[in-house]
Amino acid sequence: MRRALSNPMAFGGFLIIAVIMMLALAAPLIAPFDPEAIDVKSILLPPSSTHWMGTDGLGRDVFSRMLFGARVSLMVGIVAVGIATLIGIVLGSISGYYRGWVDVFIMRLVDVMLSIPTFFLILAVIAFLTPSIWNIMIVIGLTSWMGVTRLVRAEFLSLRNREFVMASETLGARDGRLIFRHLLPNSLTPIIVSSVLGVASAVLVESGLSFLGLGVQAPQSSWGNILTDGKEYIEFAWWLSLFPGLAILITVLGYNLLGEGLRDALDPRSSN
Amino acid sequence: MSFTRLLCLTLLTLLAGCGEPQQDPNVDYDQVYPAVDGGNMINAMTGEPSGLIPMIAGESAASAIASNIFNSLLKYDKNLELEGELAESWTISPDHRTITFKLKPDMKWADGQPLTSADVLFTWKLVTDENTRTPYGSDYKLVIKAETPDTRTFRVSYQEPYAPALDTWAGLQILPKHLLEGQDINTTAFARNPVGSHYYKLEQWRNGERISLIRNPLATQGEARIERLVSRFIPDAASQFLELMADNIDTMNLNPIQYARIFPSRPDLTQKIGLYKELGNSYTYLGFNLKRKPFDDIRIRQAINYAINKQELIDGVLLGLGEPVSSPYKPGTRWTNPELQPYPYDAQKAIALLKEAGYADHDGDGILDKDGKPLTFEMLTNQNKQREMSAVLIQRRLKEIGIDARIRVLEWASFIGRFIKTGEFDAVVLGWSLSLDPDQYSIWHSSQQAPGQFNFIGYNNPQVDRLLEQGRLELDIEKRTKIYHEFARLLLEDSPIVYLYAGYGLPAIHKRIKGIDDPAPPAGIGHNSHEWYIPQPLRRLEISAQ
Repeated sequence: MRRALSNPMAFGGFLIIAVIMMLALAAPLIAPFDPEAIDVKSILLPPSSTHWMGTDGLGRDVFSRMLFGARVSLMVGIVAVGIATLIGIVLGSISGYYRGWVDVFIMRLVDVMLSIPTFFLILAVIAFLTPSIWNIMIVIGLTSWMGVTRLVRAEFLSLRNREFVMASETLGARDGRLIFRHLLPNSLTPIIVSSVLGVASAVLVESGLSFLGLGVQAPQSSWGNILTDGKEYIEFAWWLSLFPGLAILITVLGYNLLGEGLRDALDPRSSN
Repeated sequence: MSFTRLLCLTLLTLLAGCGEPQQDPNVDYDQVYPAVDGGNMINAMTGEPSGLIPMIAGESAASAIASNIFNSLLKYDKNLELEGELAESWTISPDHRTITFKLKPDMKWADGQPLTSADVLFTWKLVTDENTRTPYGSDYKLVIKAETPDTRTFRVSYQEPYAPALDTWAGLQILPKHLLEGQDINTTAFARNPVGSHYYKLEQWRNGERISLIRNPLATQGEARIERLVSRFIPDAASQFLELMADNIDTMNLNPIQYARIFPSRPDLTQKIGLYKELGNSYTYLGFNLKRKPFDDIRIRQAINYAINKQELIDGVLLGLGEPVSSPYKPGTRWTNPELQPYPYDAQKAIALLKEAGYADHDGDGILDKDGKPLTFEMLTNQNKQREMSAVLIQRRLKEIGIDARIRVLEWASFIGRFIKTGEFDAVVLGWSLSLDPDQYSIWHSSQQAPGQFNFIGYNNPQVDRLLEQGRLELDIEKRTKIYHEFARLLLEDSPIVYLYAGYGLPAIHKRIKGIDDPAPPAGIGHNSHEWYIPQPLRRLEISAQ
């Protein structure tokens, strides 16, 4: 961990994510207003000392909505990637360890899944389900495990022929022990890196879905749906587009920096 | 002067010549100018028409343009009373089954051919022909006999009296027989190259860009003043607004934010663009699926009606630019029952009604329940900002009295296809457009509940059914008014829908255009657009509108 954080890129990303997470967790304490409190007398007020990020079309405080929206965006990112990583590890391990026809089958499945544009697949699935934060997390998770699967499989294939694994196998270690004690712990680095990068793209997907009205439903806020609200008034109420846009940018940047930084720091092959 | 300098100068001159020609900033738009003919007026349309035969094309862009090209037998005047357009007069037989239209004399099509009753008969045959792909045929199929005793007389007979008949003849635009006879109306090239009889005729149609109409010197209603009407296709409303600000279009309909927030803060805009208000042509409502519990109970519906603060919706969603509604007609017109008032906002009364219906918060979760079932439902709406915002405001008010309403926003096609047509919904936030005839049989009669029909909320009140049937047969306008006033009263009492508001139409028109009736009469700001004119000094400095 220390090695990872000594990398300035990783540290910068970590700092950004940590701050955003803290803000999201402390949202009920920090938020100056109830994010769902409508006030028709203060519709579309520009940023001021009372409303730091202005108000939206129903007079709701944008800063408070941004804070609560951060919870949604981050939770979707983390849970969705959690699901994807879990599926990826299981399938990748099976594929890389047992090889043979199971490997062929899983890899062709990966190919098929990769050939479908993920965002449209998610759109299609969400259109048939009730849009809710849980459905979104599950659907994003179920449609983005392919990268992790390939990664885990590749790691397993290369680790499988290493001396310590063969030694352990010769000593009679069973499959479970080999996988969980030797192969998986040694594959963790790329998995962590790809997960961190995956969170960034999941945050983007969630924002996109909410922007299209298929994500988190009113009155709950997410960065994506604040951005949609802003679209209507873009020539007038710039604050409705700027702040959620910036938040998404910074968060995605944070995760990408952290991911890239971790890769540089932890992967001996890419260090220079 | 060196060659390079000369080149630079030439380039600069060329560059200066590019871009839209701008008006002299010192022009006084508020000065009084005498009415003159000529000039171009440019408006924006979100879509391009598929053709210009109104009965075939169907979309609003087509009817907006075609209404400048074709005439109907009748039209609505500025107070929304019927008057003759191609018809000079009309008489109704004593048994109310036959209408005889007398056409004005010596009318001509834009190509110089005479316009006669044969054209009217031809158009009627077209609209009722099984092979004509039009959604508007049903009203005209009620005519059992149509005849033309002479070139200026057109007579139609109905099986039984049909009160909305006159309105239908104000909606049928007459097409030229001599150009369309023997052609397939669904595919004819006439749709791209129409010849009509109204103020304008087609000058040029540039695909994906614009349609320009030029004044028709043979117009049956006299000549319009403005020389050329140009409709540019600009799909995005925000881009239209930018074009309006940049002086590249003359008219557009604003949304409340643009009207009440952007304009007042921009004196440069108010100096050159005039803002108007007119009664809108639709109202927004919260409709219940009456076949589902708990909405089969009138007390629940009334409670929800009392719990919704309509003024708050008007202030919040429309920024005050709308009116409350208490009957399904345009406010201020004859068919609106002046005695009806919307349900006032009264949370206590709502709570009392819910209690009477057996609902109480037994489990202490803040949501009322009855027999262990919480009072919760889902409000569907389509991706329409105003409707979404209304739903959020309603949700909050209902939560205050212990009703848990969830919101689901859907794309229009799936909204209609998957939920409305199948009846798979609890409640909807939607709008109805208002027709000028008061007949609303298709929306409220209990027989109109099949999938795809308009009574999708499942409203069934025998008394209302009877009134709707009577209203269709009654041609006496006073008696008819009474019937629809009573219908509106019953509807309000039953509360199958909660009327939320009727928003104003908010047209913005460049001040170079004069002769506008302000305030707008019930028929809307455009009712006298043929009298609008553009004084010479205010015209765009354009060589040509091509």
